[in-house]
Amino acid sequence: MKYFGFIVALAITIALGIAVSKPLGPVPPLAPLLDPNHGFWQNSFSEDELANDELRLTGLSAPVTVVYDENLIPHIFAENEEDLYRAQGYVTAKHRLWQMEFQTMAAAGRISEIVGPVALELDRMTRRKGLGYGAELGQKYLEENDPETLRLAEAYTAGVNEYIDQLSPGQVPVEYKILNYRPEHWSVYKSLLLLKYMSDMLVGDRDLEYSNLRKILGSEMLDKLYPDFPLENDPIIEATKIWDFTPLAISKPDSIPYPDDILVIDPLPQPEKGTGSNNWAVSGSKTKNGNPILANDPHLSLNLPSLWYAMQLTTPNHSVKGATLPGALGVISGFNQNIAWGVTNATKDARDWYKITFQDNSRKAYKYGNEWRPSNFRIEEIKIKGEESYLDTVVYTHYGPVVYDRTFRSDRQDVNFALKWTVHEGSNEQLTFISMNKAKNFTDYNIALDSYAAPAQNFVFASKVGDIAMRIQGKFPLKWKEQGKFFMDGADPRMEWQGFIPNEQNASTLNPERGFVSSANQHPVDPSYPYYVFDNSYEHYRNRRLNQQLTEKEGITVEDMKALQFDDYYLHAKEALPVMIALLGTEFDSDPAAKKYLDELKSWDFFADPNQKAPTLFYIWWEKTYDNVWEKWSKFGAPVVSPNNYQTVLLLTNSPQDEFFDSELTPTKESAADHVKKGFKEFLIKMQEWEANEGDYSWANYKKTSIQHLVPQFASFSAKNIYTGGGRGMLNATSERSGASWRMVVEMGDEISAFGIYPGGQSGNPGSKFYSNFIPIWANGEYLNFNLRSKEQSEGVLFQTILK
Amino acid sequence: MRFILFILITLGIVVFLNPLFPYWVIMLLIGVGSGLLGLSGFQGFVAGGLGMGLAWLGQAIFISTSTGSSLPNKIGELMGLGSGMTVVGVTAIIGLLLGGFSGLTGSLFRNLFRKEPDNLYRG
Repeated sequence: MKYFGFIVALAITIALGIAVSKPLGPVPPLAPLLDPNHGFWQNSFSEDELANDELRLTGLSAPVTVVYDENLIPHIFAENEEDLYRAQGYVTAKHRLWQMEFQTMAAAGRISEIVGPVALELDRMTRRKGLGYGAELGQKYLEENDPETLRLAEAYTAGVNEYIDQLSPGQVPVEYKILNYRPEHWSVYKSLLLLKYMSDMLVGDRDLEYSNLRKILGSEMLDKLYPDFPLENDPIIEATKIWDFTPLAISKPDSIPYPDDILVIDPLPQPEKGTGSNNWAVSGSKTKNGNPILANDPHLSLNLPSLWYAMQLTTPNHSVKGATLPGALGVISGFNQNIAWGVTNATKDARDWYKITFQDNSRKAYKYGNEWRPSNFRIEEIKIKGEESYLDTVVYTHYGPVVYDRTFRSDRQDVNFALKWTVHEGSNEQLTFISMNKAKNFTDYNIALDSYAAPAQNFVFASKVGDIAMRIQGKFPLKWKEQGKFFMDGADPRMEWQGFIPNEQNASTLNPERGFVSSANQHPVDPSYPYYVFDNSYEHYRNRRLNQQLTEKEGITVEDMKALQFDDYYLHAKEALPVMIALLGTEFDSDPAAKKYLDELKSWDFFADPNQKAPTLFYIWWEKTYDNVWEKWSKFGAPVVSPNNYQTVLLLTNSPQDEFFDSELTPTKESAADHVKKGFKEFLIKMQEWEANEGDYSWANYKKTSIQHLVPQFASFSAKNIYTGGGRGMLNATSERSGASWRMVVEMGDEISAFGIYPGGQSGNPGSKFYSNFIPIWANGEYLNFNLRSKEQSEGVLFQTILK
Repeated sequence: MRFILFILITLGIVVFLNPLFPYWVIMLLIGVGSGLLGLSGFQGFVAGGLGMGLAWLGQAIFISTSTGSSLPNKIGELMGLGSGMTVVGVTAIIGLLLGGFSGLTGSLFRNLFRKEPDNLYRG
C-alpha cells in the first residue's frame, strides 16, 4: 500500500514538474515564466534598478565609460573606434537584444523557427526575395575589400556576444520567456542582414500592376492617368538646378517585346502606405541666429520596441549623437561637432522583373539570346518549430532569384520571374555610416556617401561652417525611358540594365539660392535631369507644403522647425474638398445630418488636429468617392494600381465630364459629380454607423494611432489609441500604424543645439519604466534635449557604468 | 514543531537557493528535506506547499510593489488572466502545488523505510 502511495505521489510530482515546463498549446511553459526568481517577474526591474558601476567587457584596449542620462540614453566614451563599437554592441544588446535578434530572424526568413508553421509562407517569401543572399554578398565584399570595416563589425559582434554570454536566466528578455526560445550568437552577417531588411521595408515596385495596366489601358491612357511627372512638380533638387555633366549614353532597343500576358499572380508585399519621410536644412541666411538648422523625421511603421535607439558615441577624435539601428554600427541619423545629416527614402524603382524561359522542366538552363545559360539552385532550409524542416529550392539566374515559380504563389505552371534588385549586389552601406559619424565637412560627407548603394536615400546635410546640401544617393541603374516600368523578357539581352549612374552624376545640390534644401519622398528632379526617373509612390502633398513653408519663412528658429515637423495641414483636403462640395451641389441640403457634416466641413481650416472633426469627415468622403471613381478598375480581374489621389483630384477638377468617369457597368453615363454624390451617400451611412457605435468622430478617435509590439499578438505590450494629429500626406504623417518614427532638429552653431524624440523608449523591456515613456512627449510634438554631453558633465545623470 | 520548522526550511530554500537554481532543483530539495525530517505525507504536502507557495507569493508581491512595474498586468492580459493580481495568485498556486507534491513525495519515500511498529496490539 505504502509503495503504491509513494509511486502515485512521485508520478504526480514528476508529471506536474514536466507539465509546467512545457508549453500547452499557445500557453508558454508556466513554471519558468512564473518563477519569481527567473521568470517574467525579474523583467519588472527597470535598468536604473539593476545598474552596475562596473561590467566586464573583454577585448577592450582601455576602459570605456557609459553615462546614461535621465532618459536612459547611453553616452559611450571610448579611447578608439574598435572599443567604441564593441561597447555599442554590448550596450545595445543590453537594452534591445530580443528586438535586434527578432528583426534579423525576420530578415533571414527564420520566423517559423520561433512561432511554427504559421510563418512558413512569410519565410519562403523573404528567402525568395534573396535578402540573405544579398547579406552574404555584402559580407564577402567586406572580407575582400574592406578589412577595416570588417574589423569594427567584428568588435560590435563580440560586444553583443559578450552580453549574451553574461546574461543571467532572470534577465533574459521577457519575449524569449513567453515564446520559449533563447538568444543565439550575433554575427557580422546579421548586422549586414539588418541593412538589407531596411531595403526590404522601404522599397517597392509596381512592375506587375503596370504591366497589366499597359496591356489593359494602352500606353496613351496609361500616360494620361499615370504621368511620369505631375503637373505641379516640386522636386527634391530645385528645378532651377543646371546639370553640368555629360550623361552616359543609353541605347534603347528599337522595338521592345514585352511579355504579353495578363498576369494574375499576387504581387510582392509592398511597403506600407504612408512610409516616407521628411528632411530639410535651412541656411544661416534664413535663420534668426544665422546658423544652419537641419531637421529629419523618417516615417515608418510604428513599433515597440522602437526601431530606433538613441546614443552618443564618443572617441577622442569625434563625438556623434542621434538615432542608431539596434544591430548596425554607428548613428544612422544624427550630428557630430561639425556636421548634421538625416535620411529620407529615395525610392526609384530599384526592383525589376524578368520573365525567364527555362529549357525544360528541370530548370537547369534558361534562354539568354541565342544560348542556354545554366541556372543555380539554392536550397533554403527553413526550420519549423515542432516540425520537420522545409526545404525550398530557389532557382537563381544571373538577374537574381526566381521568386514566383511553379512551387510558389502561382496558379500558372509557366510563370517564372526573376527579380533583379540592387540589394543582391555586394555593397558597403555600413562604411557610409561609420564614415559619416566622423565627417567634418561637405567633402567628408560626399566621400562617406560614395559607398552607399541601397536602400537609396536622400541625405540632407548641414555643417557648422554654414553649408547645406542634399544628395540622392543609391546605386541607380542606367535605364532607357520606361525600362523596368513593366515586366521584361529575360531571354532578350537588350533588356539588361546598362550599368549604373556614376555617383557624381546622382542628383545633388549644395547651398542653393533659395536658402534651403528639402525632401519628402517626392520626385527627385525636374524633367531636365538627363536620366530616366520613375516610381509609383512619389509624394505630391508633403513636399509642396514643406517647400511653401520654407520659402515663406524668414528668421527661422529651432522652435519653427519643430512646429513644421508637427504641422498637420491637410493639403490634399484643401485642394479636393472645394471641388467635391461644388460637384455635390444642393441635393443633400434638406437632410439635417448631411447639413451638419457639410457645415463642419465648410468651416474647417484644413488642419488635422486630434480634436478636429472635419478631417474624419473629409477622409471618409474622399475614400468613398475615390473607390467609386476607380471601381471599374476591379473588373480587370488582375492586379493593378489606381491613379493616385493627386491625379484623381486633377481629373475631378479639370475634366469632370470625361468619359473615364463612366463606370460602364451601368446603362447611364456617369460624370465626376455622380461619383462624388454616390460617395457622399456611402459616407453618410458610414458616419451613421460610426456615431451609433463609437460616438465621437474627432480625428484622433477615428484614426486610432497605435504603436504595435513586433509580435502583434502581444497586445498588452503595444500602445493603443494615441491622442495625436496628422496623417498621410501631411508633414506630421502620423496615421493609424505609421508616422514619424524619429524626429530630430539640430542647429549647427558654435554651440550645437539639438533636439530629438521617437515614439517608444530606450528600453526594449515591456516591464521597464523606460519602455514607452517617450510616447506622450512625441504625441504632443515635444522633444528631448539631445545636446552632446562631455564625460565630466554631472547634471542629469541616471547612472554610469565602466566597461573594462 | 517539525511541521513549522519545515515550512521555514522550505521558505529558506526558495529564498536563498531558487535565485541560483531552477524550480525543479528546488522541488528536489524540498522532497529531500521533507524525507529527512520524517514528516507524515499530509504534513509534508502542506508544509512543502505552504513554504514554496508563500515564498513565491511573497517574492511576486515584493517585486511588483517595489518596482511598480506594469508588467504583471501586461502578462495577465496576455495570458487571458485579467489583472496582475491574478498572475500573483497563479504564481502562488503553482508554487504551492510544486512544493506540496514534492514534500508529499519526500515524506512517502521516507515512509517506505520506516520500520512497522511491532509492539502494537493487533487483537
